[in-house]
Parts: sequence; C-alpha cells; structure tokens
Amino acid sequence: MPPGSLALLAQGAAVSLLLAAVAIVGGTLLAVLLAALAFSRFAVVRAAYRVYVYVVRGTPLLVLALLVFYAMPALDLRTGPYIAGTLVLIVYTGALLAEVFRGGVLAIPRPQWESARSLGLPPVPLFRKIVAPLVTRYTLPPYVNVCVMTVKASSVLSIISVWELTLAAREIIERTFAVFTILGLAAAFYFVMCFGIDRLGRLFERHLALKGFAGERA
Amino acid sequence: MLTLRSRHVVTAAFVAILLAAGSPAGGQEKSRMDVVLDRGKLIVVTLTTVPPFAFNDDKGQLVGFDIDIARLVATALFKDPNKVEFVSVSAEGRWPAIESGRADMGVGGTTTYPDRAIRVAFTRPFIDSGISVLVSKKSGIKSVKDLDQDKYTIANLNNPQMADRAKRFFPKTKILTFDTPSAQFLAVKSGRANALQIDTPSAEYWAAQNKDEMEVLSGLLGASQNNGIFLKPGDFKWWLWLDTAVAEMRTGSWYPQYSEIYQKWFGKNPPPQKFYLQQ
Amino acid sequence: MNFGRWVAIYGPTYLTALGWTAVTAVGAACGALIWGCALLLIRLSAGRWGARGVDAYVQLFRNTPVLLPIYLIYFAFPMIGLPWPAVVCGGLALILQNGAYISEILRGSVNAIDRVQFDAARSIGLAPWSTFRKVVLPQVLVYSIPALGNQTVLLLKDTSLLSAISITELTMQAKLLTEQTGAAYEAFIVVALLYLLLVSGTEVLFRVTHRAVRWR
Repeated sequence: MPPGSLALLAQGAAVSLLLAAVAIVGGTLLAVLLAALAFSRFAVVRAAYRVYVYVVRGTPLLVLALLVFYAMPALDLRTGPYIAGTLVLIVYTGALLAEVFRGGVLAIPRPQWESARSLGLPPVPLFRKIVAPLVTRYTLPPYVNVCVMTVKASSVLSIISVWELTLAAREIIERTFAVFTILGLAAAFYFVMCFGIDRLGRLFERHLALKGFAGERA
Repeated sequence: MLTLRSRHVVTAAFVAILLAAGSPAGGQEKSRMDVVLDRGKLIVVTLTTVPPFAFNDDKGQLVGFDIDIARLVATALFKDPNKVEFVSVSAEGRWPAIESGRADMGVGGTTTYPDRAIRVAFTRPFIDSGISVLVSKKSGIKSVKDLDQDKYTIANLNNPQMADRAKRFFPKTKILTFDTPSAQFLAVKSGRANALQIDTPSAEYWAAQNKDEMEVLSGLLGASQNNGIFLKPGDFKWWLWLDTAVAEMRTGSWYPQYSEIYQKWFGKNPPPQKFYLQQ
Repeated sequence: MNFGRWVAIYGPTYLTALGWTAVTAVGAACGALIWGCALLLIRLSAGRWGARGVDAYVQLFRNTPVLLPIYLIYFAFPMIGLPWPAVVCGGLALILQNGAYISEILRGSVNAIDRVQFDAARSIGLAPWSTFRKVVLPQVLVYSIPALGNQTVLLLKDTSLLSAISITELTMQAKLLTEQTGAAYEAFIVVALLYLLLVSGTEVLFRVTHRAVRWR
C-alpha cells in the first residue's frame, strides 16, 4: 500500500462524513418546512411541493450537481465546488426526507388524530406532544436509510471536484496505480461509515421503544 | 393526483425562472485587483494532475511550475509566496470557477485558444507549450499516422480543442474523454487507451517516469502553443497588472526569479530575456 | 442563447446520448433482475451458509457507493487481463449493485407467500427448482412490481455515473456540449428534462404492468 494513502483516505472519509452531516442537518430543516408545505391548505402550495419532489427525485444527483456548479456563475454566486456540492446535497436530502416525513404523518392512524383533537389541544402543543413523537417513531428507519444514502451520494460530488473520500481514492490511484488496494480501502471506509450509521439508528430505535416513546412499550 | 396541466404549468414556471436568471447582471464592479489586495490573499484555480505544471507530490503537497509561478505572483502582490489559496478543479471546472468569481486567476497547463478566450481572458504566455501524444509502447504506434486507425483508442481531456485535434489528425481513432489529465494517464496505463494527447512537458514527464511502458511521439500536434494565466474578462486593471507581471518575469526585472523556477522544474534555462542577450 | 434554437441545433446529438442511456438502463435492469433472482435462489436453497453469503453480499453493496465498483471494473480489470468494453464494465457494476437491492425486495415478497403453497407443491411432487420457477418466482415478481419499479428508476439515474468512464450517455453529452459551447444552462436543463421524461416513462410503464398483471 502506498505510504500516506491510509491517512489521506481517512481525511477524505472525514470530509465525506462532514458533508453528509451538513446535508442531513440542512436537509432535515428543509424537509420539515417542505412537509409543512405538503399539508398546506392551498392547492398551489401543495402543487409546488409535488413539483419540487418530482424534479429533485427524477433527476440524477450528478446532473443536479453539474447544473448548480456550471450554471451558477450566471447568477453571480461565488460557488466553489464545496458550496455547490453541499447545496445540492441539502436540496436532495431535503426532498427525500420531506417524503419520509410526509409518509410518517400520513401513517398516523385516524383514531390518534381524532383523540388528539378531542383533547382540544392548540396546534403547537399538538405538534410537539403528539404528532412529532409519532412521526419520529414511524420515520426513524427510513430516516436512517436516507442518512446512509446521503453518505453514499457524497461520492458523486467527487465528479465536480469536491475533495472527499472517492476523489482522494481516485487521486491516489491515478498517482500510484494501486487500484485494487485503494478502492478496497475506500470501500471499507464507506462500509464502516454506512453500516455504523445503520446500527446506530437501530440502537436508537430500540432505545426509543424501551423508553415508551409515543406510547409503545417494548 | 395533480392534473396533467397544473403540474406542468408549475414545472414550466420553475424552468422559466431558472432560464431568466441566466442573464447576468451588468454594472460597474470593483476591479478584482482591489479585491485581492484588500483580501490579502490570492485565490488561484488550477488543475492538479498535470505534472510538472501542477500536481501532488508524494507527500500530497500541491507543487509544480505553475504553482510556483502563482506563488511568484503572490510575492509580487504581498511579498509572501504563501498568501495563495489553490482551488482544485477538473478540466471543465476551470471556467465556472473564474466566471463565478470563486477564484481570482487560474493556471495549470492552460493553453490560450481564441475560442477559449471568449470565456476567460489570458495574459501573455508565461511558458511555451504544445501538444504531444504519449503512447504505450505495447501498442506499437510509432507516429501519428500509425495512430489513425480504427483499432486504436486515444484518451482526450474534456475540451473542444482536443476533440478538434482528434478530428483533424486522427479521425479514425476511437476517443475516450476524461475530466482530468491523470484519468487520461490512468486510462493509458491500465490499457483502456493506447495513447493520450496533452501538453508536451506533461507527456515527457510521464514518459520519463514510465520509461519501459510509454514514450512520446516526436513532433507536436499542431503548432507550438502558449500557456498563460487566465482570469475573468472585462477587468482591465487586473489583466493589465497580471500581464505586466508575466512580462517582467519572462523579459524583465523578475527574470532571475523566473529562471530559478524554470531551472527547478525543467532542468534547463528558460529562453533568453531578450533575443540579443544570450545565456 | 435562445433555448428553442439550442434544442433545434443539438437535438439529434442528445438523441444518440439518450439512446445510450436507455440501452444501458434496460440492459442493466434486466441483468439486475436476473442476478437478483439468482441471489434469491441461492438464499432459499443453499442453507444457512448460502443465506449468510447473500447477506454479506447485500450488505457490501448497500453500504458502498456505486462509483467504486464502476471505477474498479473499468480501470482495474484490464490490469488483470480483462479489458471489457466500457459499457460492459459500467453495466456490470450497475447489475452487481442493483441485484443486491432487488434480491432484498424479492426476499420481502417471498415472506408474503403462504406456507401452504410449499406443502402443496411438494405433495404434487414438484422438484425444488420447479417449485421455485413455477410457484415462488411468478408470485414474488408480481408482488414486487411497485418496488422493482422504484429500483429501476434509481438504476436509471445511476446511469449518469457512467459518464465518469467516458460513456457518451446523457450526462456526458451535456458536459461535452458545455465545453464546446459554454452554454451550461441549456445543456444541462435539456438533459434534466430528458431524465424526468425517462423517469416518468418508467413509472408509467411499471404502473401499467402492475395493473395489467393484477387482473389475472
């Protein structure tokens, strides 16, 4: 194995993780906003949501990234690859999570809504004490799934020259030709990150169930 | 379920907004020169896999002739060669990085072409170059004529000039297009392609490093060429200063510093300052 | 540049690229389906170790990005004497990745088949392979059509990554045109619209198939 490559790959992995983390945080905030739009009273707003999700989910992430990266200069925005890439990941993750949240809300059984309403709670506490915990429980598995997808999606950003694990691996390979070794190591790093997130998610799920979160005893 | 009409109306509106935003805003801006001086740091966009112009050494540091020239520019501005930040991009990423203002100037084995000059402005050349063809010895290609056959594949970089040259000099050859020179090189090394076209110094560098497997075909594809610093067009103050700096490096007061860098990367002296001054 | 004029000039170029995208997508989708069924068969018939092997395979491909196998097969295989054409390399990577996901989808559907059917099949003397082919597979496939449609859309979008190994599909074509003309907006918006078209087409196809098959 070429010297120093392990360190470089580790750094790249850290960048990938960071990109994914920023995208997940930003995406979650965006998704909450979008999901609210999805249930708006106004048909136009709901339509706008549908279009947004349709466009973002129907276009490959690479095309979105290239579009933002190459076409942004026309909007006079100072986007280097990192900003463009992070922006695209947030938009992408936001769309996916919005659908997850929307599905979670729709999955709440009718009786729950009715009993909540019969309690006479105003909207904000209703959301905080009843809707949010239920939605969280329903959406945790797909949410973790999207987190894993985001980590994998960050590898696509290597094509718009965002330096992360895949690009780090590519650079080392193009310099040293140790293709099998380096790609194997890169795959191992991704595996550890993704599998780790998946396991953490499951642990958290079990923890929530044990705590009796949202009325469910183990 | 949305009706066919309303969903398409909203999508069309979305696309229309995107297109309308495509027209750039005009107006007077501060010259990039002032922005750089205020900032106290120079931001340079570069390819990072074109040795010896710009590449990562074994320790992962970005080094090269063009890198040192950029540092020389920083020294002229700030008396400190380390007041530079490099932005690494792929071949097509060079222009958006300049156009969006992310970088002040660019280097990296970038050749001056008239059609390219519509998008970015170039200073006078800071080094002469030309395009050579690097071939793998196994392929048995001995000349450009040999290359022009259906059974061979050449690795191009993603720019129109490479495509044009391919059409002009070896139209029958199959073409692969990559976004970085190192990907081109990996293609040849792994056997995906039999040849690649790239700036002569890069071709010679790679051939020297892989003496058993690769060699450079003699002769240039087309004419000798100019590699310059590129920047956003329309900014006369910044262009004039950069061009002056390059002029002084090649033919004036900064020739000694330029010579030192040239010696370091090419092992020989640069062309003389003035035709009547021989080294 | 005027959008309409752009489409008029470069329309044909896009169509060739569109053809490549469609061909690789269809080819990889079929291959992935077959591979997914094969993985399912292995899981069902090769005992505990078979199931564990398939699990490991699935976990590997679920937790690594598809760009890595694409690079590996394209750049590394020639070094060990397997210089397959780019389309084969890209297609193979997509098949390996999506086959894993498809086998999981099919596995979920297998659990929906009533156990009684297996006993019934054995009682009329059907060999395991015939049971799989005539009883399990048809039902599993029918149950899975919506999820398979979803996966096919994901595969279609992943064909854009084949631009990294110089296959001239839609995304690569957009990059080439951007470099040629500088008109990044027009180049990529047309490609985005074409992808939306393909995705919608695929979704419609699967919905129609699902409805048609359910009637039987």
